Amino acid sequence: MLEVQDIDVSYGHAKALHNVSVNLQRGEMVFVVGRNGAGKTTLLRTIAGFLQPTQGSITLEGQSLLGLRPDQVARLGLRFVAQDKKVFSHLTVRDNLELAAHASGEKLETAVERLLGLYPKFEKFMDSKAGGLSGGQREILLIGRALVGEPGVLLVDEPTEGLAAIVIADIFRILSEMKERISTIIVEQNLSVVGRLADRIYIMKEGKIEQEITDPAEITDASQLECYL
Amino acid sequence: MPSVAVPQPINSIAPTGAGRILRDMAIVAASFLVLSLFIPLHWLTDFAIFSILVLSFDLLYGYMGHLSFGHMLYYGVGAYAASLTCIHLAPNPLLAMLVGVVSGLLVAALVGLVVVQVEGAAFALVNLAINQIGFWLAQSGLQDYTHGEDGLPSAVEALGFLDFYNLPVAFGFMLLCLVLVFGLLRMLTSSPYGLVVRSIKENEDRVKFLGYNTFAYKWLTFVIASTLASFAGALYALVKGFVAPADLNPLENTRIIFSVLIGGAGNLYGAVVGAVSFELLSNYLATSIARWEMVLGFMLLALVFWFRRGITGYSSDLVAKLRHGRRVGG
Repeated sequence: MLEVQDIDVSYGHAKALHNVSVNLQRGEMVFVVGRNGAGKTTLLRTIAGFLQPTQGSITLEGQSLLGLRPDQVARLGLRFVAQDKKVFSHLTVRDNLELAAHASGEKLETAVERLLGLYPKFEKFMDSKAGGLSGGQREILLIGRALVGEPGVLLVDEPTEGLAAIVIADIFRILSEMKERISTIIVEQNLSVVGRLADRIYIMKEGKIEQEITDPAEITDASQLECYL
Repeated sequence: MPSVAVPQPINSIAPTGAGRILRDMAIVAASFLVLSLFIPLHWLTDFAIFSILVLSFDLLYGYMGHLSFGHMLYYGVGAYAASLTCIHLAPNPLLAMLVGVVSGLLVAALVGLVVVQVEGAAFALVNLAINQIGFWLAQSGLQDYTHGEDGLPSAVEALGFLDFYNLPVAFGFMLLCLVLVFGLLRMLTSSPYGLVVRSIKENEDRVKFLGYNTFAYKWLTFVIASTLASFAGALYALVKGFVAPADLNPLENTRIIFSVLIGGAGNLYGAVVGAVSFELLSNYLATSIARWEMVLGFMLLALVFWFRRGITGYSSDLVAKLRHGRRVGG
């Protein structure tokens, strides 16, 4: 479904990704793990169109994404949830969804229903400013907003970073529910989440794919992933 | 169980059916009519035109977050286009207005393709540079057409009841134009387009994530704002009967920026309140204080350091506090 083949990405003269290849099949949940600075976010931003590789190819359902702007990539059905948990804080929760609904042509009511299905507690916040939400609520709103229009692929950058355990449990539940419905690449440092949800895992180190783990037994034993980090 | 943040419900964009838009238009009209009991009509006529100019700037700066130091260019384009229409085509006010608006739209459409590629200080200064070029063209580059510092007359003939030499008629027409512009902007800023524009101000990258071509939205907003400024310029030329290079002097941009800051940016009522307040201050201070610009300077400092949200920003807070107090008090 999504094929990233031998891409190099540089920031000026500094090479951030070296010959990176990943792929995502339909219905899969693939995790990318690695230390800080390994190039995980750079990989997701490149796929989303914010950075252009200096070599290699990126295709989505056979269509090349190279040279496309981020909004063009998004309209092809690939959405990106960034790490910083930034919502449109001066808009209400409902307006945040309406923005996404208008772009995708989906009805606002459908988007609202989906978000409430993910997290019913949002019902009392729908007309409140998104800037007043907690970090976990923002992450859930961002995921809900990214799902508007039912994209085919979702890229999520560190969804549980900085969140309390109880909130991580909510995020985990949401990701579990999404697992069959949408193909996802998730960058994550929380190895217990990785171990419980991943179909495959890519280990990144210094801008390269160090290893790909496909054995379910290896995946579920999250503790042994520590040695790769 | 950890406490969950429960933000107070606040409508970020007030729900607006046609009824609410008409209500807001009526409020603006009524306010000016009440002011006409206390303020000379010729001043109010100017205030109405200036309010249109400030509203146009607020769309660009207050709603989209792009500060331009060159907005007066389009005001001047509209004014000169209207004047030249009166001189070379026909002294028909409606034709002059139409040509003024279309001229501003064409210039903005071309310039916008370049300027919206930059942002922040670069956007402000590129627009200033282009305004400066326009100012030079009016002063000397095109003086065969503009008559340089001598200026151009823009005398129009009466068209039915529309007689700009009849002050109440001129005021009524300018007020109608202001109300219509206010209604148009209310409709736009409350629509999905308005949501996108406000979101671009907050975080353009996130808007791109959702699939929006933000360049197109920024360009469109720039064109709408500039075209409305040209409309204000055309109206000014018809009311004053004269246009000169000073009408697109880049320094005059400070009046607009000041007005938006006084009233509160990103708020249509704020733009009108700010425009009227600034004009009142300028007119009254100028008659009573020799160095009135210094007073304005101190006011600007006060605004920047202590009253950033302007009159409407703090008024909204006060109203919300009073409502909350009433609810809590039972």
